[in-house]
Amino acid sequence: MHAQLELLLEIQDLRTQRHGMEDGTLADVESDVFAVEVADAIEILDEKLGELETRLTEEIGERYSRMARKGMRAVAPVIKGICYGCFMAVATARASEAGRNSRVENCEHCGRFLYHVV
Amino acid sequence: MLLRDFFSAETVQLDLAAETKDDALRELVSVFGLDGKSEGILYKMLKRRENLGSTGIGRSIAIPHCRSLVVNRLRVAFGRKMDGLDFKAIDEKPVRYIFLIVAPPLEVSNQYLPVLGKIAQFGKDPDVPDALAALESPEDFLSLLESKGI
Repeated sequence: MHAQLELLLEIQDLRTQRHGMEDGTLADVESDVFAVEVADAIEILDEKLGELETRLTEEIGERYSRMARKGMRAVAPVIKGICYGCFMAVATARASEAGRNSRVENCEHCGRFLYHVV
Repeated sequence: MLLRDFFSAETVQLDLAAETKDDALRELVSVFGLDGKSEGILYKMLKRRENLGSTGIGRSIAIPHCRSLVVNRLRVAFGRKMDGLDFKAIDEKPVRYIFLIVAPPLEVSNQYLPVLGKIAQFGKDPDVPDALAALESPEDFLSLLESKGI
């Protein structure tokens, strides 16, 4: 897997985790069942996100930031040839290519970074 | 759907080899049959979640959980380590029973939160720790879930 794609996945997963801490029901479960201090957790996640984002290359970082600012999920899974960001088909040749996560590519429809789920 | 419907015998490990919390997470992640890179990413995310607060809820039970892009559907696994593992649990007691839950960020049927809730509810049943200790096979585990009707 391309190192920058791996970094993007980690960032996106952390953003999902952060979003969960702000989501009413899940945040309640984290607080009530697991005794998580939600405000502290968000602070820790923001700090880690900031650190990881600085490791993106300039070009990828700019593209990522543009989408993040709009509140978009910057990385979309591709499952059975469908981009799960915009639910459009990714070009067949690209979708079926071996070693498909070995480079950073974007959906030609929505621009999201693509991660092909194995 | 009932909790039983999310588990299969292949994802039940009644004798974890792990001697540490980290190794137990790795061992349980491995039952999903992902490629090595995806397993690594999933493990890292579970660790990040643990860093926010232990998922050891007491009564020897832990429920590590996270969402990650590396899985394409909700996956659950159960592991048992009768010697106990230091999980920094809420009650500071060793954890013997681990329910692992992972899900993609977006799910069509949005089962992640309900399943998390069902497992937490299952763990609160006073009979459950003894019943989990007495299991002799993965099929026993599935029958136990079924008998609770959660």
